[in-house]
Amino acid sequence: MLQISWLIPLFPLLSFILLLIFRKSRSEGTAWIGVLLTGISLVLSVGIWLAVWQGDEIKTEGTWFHIGERAITMGFEVNPLNALMLVIVSLVSFLVHLYSKGYMHGDERFPVFFAYLGLFSFAMLGLVLSPNLLQLYMFWELVGLGSFLLIGFYYYKPEAKKAAKKAFIMTRIGDVGLFIGMVLLFWQVGSFEYDDIFASVQNGEISSGMLTLTALCIFVGAIGKSGQLPLHTWLPDAMEGPTPVSALIHAATMVAAGVYLVAAMYPLFQASETALTVVAVVGGVTAIFAASIGLMQKDIKRVLAYSTVSQLGYMMLALGASGYVAGIFHLTTHAFFKALLFLAAGSVIHAVHTQNIEEMGGLWKKLRLTGLLFLIGALAISGFPLLSGFFSKDEILASTYADGRYGLFWLAVVAAFMTAFYMFRLFFLVFTGKPRGNQSKVHESPSVMTLPMIVLGVLAVVAGYLNTTWFGTFLSDYLAKGPVELPHGDHHGPGWIPIVATAASLLGIGLAYLIYQKETLSRSWLSRMFPGLSHIIYNKWYVDEGYDATFVKGTKGLSKLGVLFDRYVVDGLVASVTAGVQGLAKAGSRLQNGQVQSYGTAAIFGLVILLLIVALTGGYFS
Amino acid sequence: MDLDTLLSFEWGVMAPEFIILGVATLLSIIDLFMKRESSRKPLAWMAGAGVLAALVSIFLQLDHEVTSILYDTYRLDSFSKAFKILLLLGTLLVLVLASNYKKEDLEENRGEFYYLLLAALLGAMMMASSADLITLFVGLELLSLASYIMAGLERKNKRSNESAFKYVVSGGIATAITLFGMSYVFGLTGETNLFKIAENMGEVELLKHGFLLVFAFIITFAGLTFKIAAAPLHMWAPDVYEGAPVPVTAFLSVVSKIAGFVIMLRFIIITFIAAAGIDGDPLLLQVQPYIMALAAATMIIGNVTALRQRNIKRMFAYSSIAQAGYILVPFVSNSSLLFELIWFYLLAYLFMNIGAFTVIQLLTSQERSNDVSVFRGLYRRSPWLAVPMTFFLLSLAGIPVTAGFIGKFGIFMGALGLQPAHYWLAAVMMATTLVSYVYYFNIIAIMFFRDEEEAKVSVPPGMAAVLAFCTASILILGVMPDLALDFFYGNFDVNEFFMRIEDEVHTHTH
Repeated sequence: MLQISWLIPLFPLLSFILLLIFRKSRSEGTAWIGVLLTGISLVLSVGIWLAVWQGDEIKTEGTWFHIGERAITMGFEVNPLNALMLVIVSLVSFLVHLYSKGYMHGDERFPVFFAYLGLFSFAMLGLVLSPNLLQLYMFWELVGLGSFLLIGFYYYKPEAKKAAKKAFIMTRIGDVGLFIGMVLLFWQVGSFEYDDIFASVQNGEISSGMLTLTALCIFVGAIGKSGQLPLHTWLPDAMEGPTPVSALIHAATMVAAGVYLVAAMYPLFQASETALTVVAVVGGVTAIFAASIGLMQKDIKRVLAYSTVSQLGYMMLALGASGYVAGIFHLTTHAFFKALLFLAAGSVIHAVHTQNIEEMGGLWKKLRLTGLLFLIGALAISGFPLLSGFFSKDEILASTYADGRYGLFWLAVVAAFMTAFYMFRLFFLVFTGKPRGNQSKVHESPSVMTLPMIVLGVLAVVAGYLNTTWFGTFLSDYLAKGPVELPHGDHHGPGWIPIVATAASLLGIGLAYLIYQKETLSRSWLSRMFPGLSHIIYNKWYVDEGYDATFVKGTKGLSKLGVLFDRYVVDGLVASVTAGVQGLAKAGSRLQNGQVQSYGTAAIFGLVILLLIVALTGGYFS
Repeated sequence: MDLDTLLSFEWGVMAPEFIILGVATLLSIIDLFMKRESSRKPLAWMAGAGVLAALVSIFLQLDHEVTSILYDTYRLDSFSKAFKILLLLGTLLVLVLASNYKKEDLEENRGEFYYLLLAALLGAMMMASSADLITLFVGLELLSLASYIMAGLERKNKRSNESAFKYVVSGGIATAITLFGMSYVFGLTGETNLFKIAENMGEVELLKHGFLLVFAFIITFAGLTFKIAAAPLHMWAPDVYEGAPVPVTAFLSVVSKIAGFVIMLRFIIITFIAAAGIDGDPLLLQVQPYIMALAAATMIIGNVTALRQRNIKRMFAYSSIAQAGYILVPFVSNSSLLFELIWFYLLAYLFMNIGAFTVIQLLTSQERSNDVSVFRGLYRRSPWLAVPMTFFLLSLAGIPVTAGFIGKFGIFMGALGLQPAHYWLAAVMMATTLVSYVYYFNIIAIMFFRDEEEAKVSVPPGMAAVLAFCTASILILGVMPDLALDFFYGNFDVNEFFMRIEDEVHTHTH
């Protein structure tokens, strides 16, 4: 079974080629090419996953080319970690293909969209199957290219064009780090193979300084791809792409590639305490930072984008805190519930034709199914008990606590509270209350769109049971079979951690409820229901003001601070770099004034400087 | 030299040069007898046939052992064969571009263009085979003089005139600097033969003048940066590229540049390999920081200034400056991989740059504009132009699955592989590569993300063939680089480069 796993990426590639050939076709039946072919990939992936679950593994390689004496290899590898990734990627890709059939209805470049989806899926699956860093890097770039094309799909919108370029360039900044780290490792180890690298690390053949340097370089690549601080600003802008793209690329797959990279190279990170700490701190700070910004956003997709950044921060935090299983676990559950949330958001946008939540409201009755599924997603991401997010987030908190990173632990708890708050702010503003915008002809999406959402909805509920202390730690047993030696078993932190996590979640939901939902509750209705509580209800304003003064003002202030930080510090840094480059470009152009005399002068001047330096350093005058 | 000695040389080793010389002479005579108004296209075909024949003769020479004739001034070795293949291949593609170049101004004097091109090629080929300062210099000047005229071939176009004039003046300065540096080398060693120079470099007397040698090295090196358009002699490139006809620009940016690297390798590596600099330390190690500074400056100037260009030919001039900067990087690390890294990169560069100029020529001559906006909506208009152009740009930017990636990857590996690893240079290379993404991807965005209902671009079959060939080569070399690398290892032995043939007169009979 495993020998054929290299076929998995080829089906989406075939879809890409076929759809490019049929790109002029006006028939929307072309979508079925993509759906069918990614469906085959999905079936194969699941089969392979089951085989790996039984304990199978494979690695096949051949020589690709030579640099001097050294052979560079190419091949594929299946192990527990990437078999799981295969399933996640092909599943979400398949569902998004199906969903797009409905969502992109009427678009004049319908087949092209599916072609790009195929290209992206091919690259992502290829990335996951890579047995060495160089091959991973190549697919890594190809994935970026697919993302570039898909974000810029609505190229007639200037914002989309800008966002596509921004995403490409910003993630490339991270890639520079990855590339340098990779080549440095090659010269230490003599190979790009994961296995060879791990063996060298284990045998202590690499100096500790070099270990930290290479691990950090590789982490820079992960920061770019996974939208971590300070390279996160491209991700919210990438929301200019079609919504199914956001679900596929910017929620479940490509942005998770950074986390996957760290996980795949985990033994390298484990060997350097400094590198792990950097990963944990960057992850933790990103988690709370992005969550705080999410509190203030008015665009439904932007809230979800910041939420994605924040959740990826959680995964990094977990990996940095030796919570290997926790990080992968959260990656899995997040892929399901975040894809669900994006698809549900897409369904809402499809119905009301706006992304501004201020113009929505009261959609619960009109979009029953979407509303219900969105609620499931929101509960899952908020860490509501018994849903998937609850278990994976709990695992992360436990790992962080067990690793002795108490500061980051409390940061993560506060971020969990914020997550619950902004998700339910979103939910209440969109689905409850009175319609605030023009909502004529709002109707539920077709079943080709709701079906994928239902599948994801079910997974968002049950995926958490992959790894629980109650029924069994299936996932960590499964991952333990992989090449990575798990740090210190399971993290059964103190029993109070789930309680704190639940409290944070419920507090967030409750607060959102009081603020955004209270308008629908008249005071009289409440006092009739709970006569005994009337004086508290009487004090509702008081409490509200109290909340307003503390939580709301506090969170608002924090969020503002986040936005300000984002705008002035991060953008300022980026802007100053840009300005520097532009200034240099200007100076270069000015020097190039078209006067051939000045060219000669510049050349002689340059030569004289060189000779002067020789004379001064060469000791001619001494 | 009496007749016997003259006849005793194994002239067969010069077959490629003789073919080019013969065809060039033939063309100039035929041109003379052709009617003024008749098309010069047949001349292009003949020139092409000549280049092909020369290429074939080189392939026939592949197994030939190292040979040196004319008192060790002309060498046939792996180095000359490997780089002559690049020069001939590049010229062949440029010829196709030239025969499809449509501009009324050029029509009347097109005949000259073909044999000037061959003369320039002959100069470049002589440089690849020279083992003597004098013949190296003569080859260089033959290439330069022919190029000066070609740049000004559009006589009624002011820009073209300006381009030629600037090229001549800048070239004069460069030649003066190069000769000045070479005169030091000659003065210190008393020889013009590269191998004898190298031999004399070891003399005790010279150890006292290490400082002067470093001076000579830097002056010569700086002078030679002219042909490859690297700092400090790079500033002519944008003006000349902009004004010259597109096929000439393609020739200057590819064939002439390859020739520039050829002379650098020949002269610098052979003569200075064992030279001692200040205090008797190895000279090549001592000048490393200077080459490094020039490489870094070239990469930065090229890539950063390209950002602001709206004129596509100027943008490609800066792009080609930047590419020269990348290829200078192996000179710094100076590893055993030097030859193959540069050879492979130049091979990839040949395909991607000539390919890009093919598209540029088609678009600029149809739109009569050199603005970057000629690319707008190209994907909708002519996808069969937009897709190859995308690959050329991706390759120039060094994105995986293209030959450019493998080339850059190799250079990068070389820079970090040897002790001491050149972290700073590698970092500059990566950072400037990143900057280059902005302008390369800007063109891609203009092609794909703009909708413009414009006329389709008609592609003559010759141009289509060049596009197909370049695209296929870039992709094949990107996916299976060993095809080229195995060919290189299998047929060329780097050691031959340093192999001195003691006998001055050879009477080999094969």
